[in-house]
Amino acid sequence: MNNQSISTTINGRKFTFDVYPNQTLLHFLREELGLTGTKCGCEIGECGACTVLLNGEAVNSCLVIVPQIDRKEILTVEGLAKDGKLHPLQESFMNHDAVHCGFCTPGMLMSAKALLDKNPDPEEKEIRTAISGNLCRCTGYIQIIEAVRDVANKA
Amino acid sequence: MKPFEYKAVHSIEEACSALAEYGSDAHILAGGTDLLIELRKQNIRTPKVVVDISFIKELRGIESINGTINLKPLATHTQLLQSSILHQYASLLSSAASVIGSPQIRNRGTIGGNIMNAATCADTVPPLIALGAKITLKLKSGSRQLDLSDLFIKPYQTKAKPEELLTEISFLKLSPNAKSSFIKLGRRNALAISRLSVAAILFFNEKGIITEARIVPGAALPIWRRVTEAEQIMIGEIPSTELFKTAGQKVSEVMISHTGRRWSTEYKEPVIATLVRRALEQCV
Repeated sequence: MNNQSISTTINGRKFTFDVYPNQTLLHFLREELGLTGTKCGCEIGECGACTVLLNGEAVNSCLVIVPQIDRKEILTVEGLAKDGKLHPLQESFMNHDAVHCGFCTPGMLMSAKALLDKNPDPEEKEIRTAISGNLCRCTGYIQIIEAVRDVANKA
Repeated sequence: MKPFEYKAVHSIEEACSALAEYGSDAHILAGGTDLLIELRKQNIRTPKVVVDISFIKELRGIESINGTINLKPLATHTQLLQSSILHQYASLLSSAASVIGSPQIRNRGTIGGNIMNAATCADTVPPLIALGAKITLKLKSGSRQLDLSDLFIKPYQTKAKPEELLTEISFLKLSPNAKSSFIKLGRRNALAISRLSVAAILFFNEKGIITEARIVPGAALPIWRRVTEAEQIMIGEIPSTELFKTAGQKVSEVMISHTGRRWSTEYKEPVIATLVRRALEQCV
């Protein structure tokens, strides 16, 4: 198996890594970089717990192998807060009790961020579509939708 | 994940050379939404070499040239559903792309992968066959074009050689006198695999009479095809619920003639008929 040298930007920082190709972005983030905010759920692209932004688009990091992020930008949940201040979506999730067990939260936040970056004033239907690839086993969807809508209203 | 050699290629030429070199030892990686799942399975034979074509710029995009639409194989489902060209000239294809997987899957999954993986439930294939799509397969030396409907042998198996690369999918724009639709039945709305689907196109003359009809069911037949037996019933007729019901029943009969009666037939027989009727009603 051949190592690959890749250059990538993760949460605004530039890196060069030597990586094995048979590793998913999910495991690379969690095990090599210690960014355990991104959660490992189903590993078949169905639960959305591992959602990160790849060049601004929400993707399942379990369905990307590491060499594919060469010259790409990755944003994980750890990259949302800036200068010790939470992202408005994070604040809003807290204010709306949108975090129950919390396992789906990082993925939900990243899907919501992908939506608001492209569409700052989404309709409820668009919010529901944006998080349709994220499962919440506590079924706290309504609070999550309200939290996202609240950020959109305040923007 | 078992070890494999990884080769990133950056041009069509480089991709074809790699495929020529590795042959059936290689597997193409595009969006990865199917391949990554296969790579993780321990019981399946892992390809020796993964040829990553996702960096090839020439394989991206949706082009409109005169009356033809050319889709490049790395066009993602998100790009298909957001394309104003497709909304205007092939809306059934954007409808199909919009119900695939989830936003995350649609951002990665490509039309080329959807075709070449050849899963029975591939949602973009019935619309493309209804549109009469042709595909271009490229070898290191030379290329060939064939009708998409001639590509498939059986589920998960195509006539493409391991050395061939899909480089283009093209079809004629639908004329303004044509209306199209796509209906998918899954077990839920998001992240559902199609249990059954229907792509339909109806062409009308100025008097509102149907002059041409195309119906392609998905996940119903061993390989996709237009159900001409049902299409012919409608030519020269004025649209009506009765007519569409008759066409739906015909599709159902054709399905059973291919698959025989099995445990799921009791369900699929009335459901495919109803889906066909609904799809045709949406074309009026």
